[in-house]
Amino acid sequence: MKTPVQLLINRGIIKLIKQPSAPLMGFAMSLFFLIVYNAGIGGIGSMEIFGDAGYLAFIFPISIISLAMGSSSGAGQTLNADMESGYFRRLYLSPVPRWSLVISPMIADTLSSVLFTSILIAIGAQFGVPFQFGIWSALGVLLLSLLWSVTLCGFSVGIMLRTGKAQNAAIITNTVFILLFLSTTFLPRELITAKWLLAISWGNPVTYILEGNRYLLGGTAPFRFFLLGVLIFSFTSTCSIAFALLSARKIKT
Amino acid sequence: MEYEIQLKNLKKKYPGGIDALRGIDLTIGKGRLYALLGPNGAGKSTLVKIMTTLVRKESGEILIGGMNPETRFTEVRKHIGVALQENELDPTEMVFSLLLFQGRLFGMSKQEATTRANELIELFQLTTEKEKKAETLSGGNKRRLHCALALVHRPRVLFLDEPTVGMDPLARATFWEVITSLNQQEGVTVLVTTQYLEEADKFASEMALINEGTIRFTGTVSEFKAMVHPAEESSLEESYLKYIRSFTKS
Repeated sequence: MKTPVQLLINRGIIKLIKQPSAPLMGFAMSLFFLIVYNAGIGGIGSMEIFGDAGYLAFIFPISIISLAMGSSSGAGQTLNADMESGYFRRLYLSPVPRWSLVISPMIADTLSSVLFTSILIAIGAQFGVPFQFGIWSALGVLLLSLLWSVTLCGFSVGIMLRTGKAQNAAIITNTVFILLFLSTTFLPRELITAKWLLAISWGNPVTYILEGNRYLLGGTAPFRFFLLGVLIFSFTSTCSIAFALLSARKIKT
Repeated sequence: MEYEIQLKNLKKKYPGGIDALRGIDLTIGKGRLYALLGPNGAGKSTLVKIMTTLVRKESGEILIGGMNPETRFTEVRKHIGVALQENELDPTEMVFSLLLFQGRLFGMSKQEATTRANELIELFQLTTEKEKKAETLSGGNKRRLHCALALVHRPRVLFLDEPTVGMDPLARATFWEVITSLNQQEGVTVLVTTQYLEEADKFASEMALINEGTIRFTGTVSEFKAMVHPAEESSLEESYLKYIRSFTKS
């Protein structure tokens, strides 16, 4: 017999399948980035600084990041819909652990994110994105994407539960958006001329997920970026899960 | 007498210093159909939310089925069924699916939950609505489904907060047939809050009247009517209005 947690995860997945707007939008945006950037400014890939891998390998991590950003709002959407309809209180009154009401949609959402990231990796490979360690590179990209997705998802859900408003979860997306522009998103560090921006990019966690991916794809970043990326986002995803769980205690019924 | 609900000096203060409950003492025996009456803002919903584990009390003691809801909330949630004022339905799910899922959450096998869902669909006369999404139901049918969900796991205590709001007279009659049958034949304790005083007059065996966070009266409906109108026959509504107005004037 399925446990209540399994039942709730199943429900979360079915909800995402029935109402796939959030993950599909994230996927469409990622594909859009990949196609448009490659077609529009792919020519600069011939610059020496991008190495043999070209601009596609450089820009592909942005697609991965934006995919998780889009789909991480999925868990918030399910929770928000349940809270608005009052159904969350019905679930809350059932004898299931309170944490499972929060974690289940997050797990469903993360599974969805991993699925779409896998599809994007397959499409990227068709476009000619290099994977310097073959399948291990693909798995590494998936790992970074998973940690990134959990980080965004947990903080978004936590904020929503504490404030009781889904739109407040946009704080996370907006913060990440700012961090994207303060990192090596569109240009390699060597081409960034402003010293203040360089200094910020060193302390910006987004830099490590981007450069970690670039290490795995085209080998244009050193290994330590991948390692630091895994360490930083393991830490942030743990914090984010803890934040979401602690927020479960503040749920307003 | 065995008690299903025991409250002792129960207090609740909301942020901003609002005293929602100012020391509630109340005991409800097993198998009673009990009406909790009072004007809007009297503290009825807060009291029900505390008894149903949704809101934490400030101080005082509370036992539901002999269990403290704050320390044994899982057992208490299995023991009680709750239908609050607002419908708690997933609008995108079908009637049958909602009942089935509710049963599964309470630990029933798929077979058991299916059988129970079909029983309740028949009991609440939702057969023609079985495959319809909750959002497409009429107000009365939503309300019936909402109450049916509270009964899926066969609770021993049923909390109904304004259960018949939005139901037409026929739906209300059907609803009360189901509730009185559960109460009389299966011994389910029912605590109901309602503004339809004729319902309380007709169906409740005992009642409590709450005003400004304080219990003003507990006893049978007949005792209350005799207390307010000792010399003449009166309806519960007439007695209630006279009693509440006496507080407003003072």
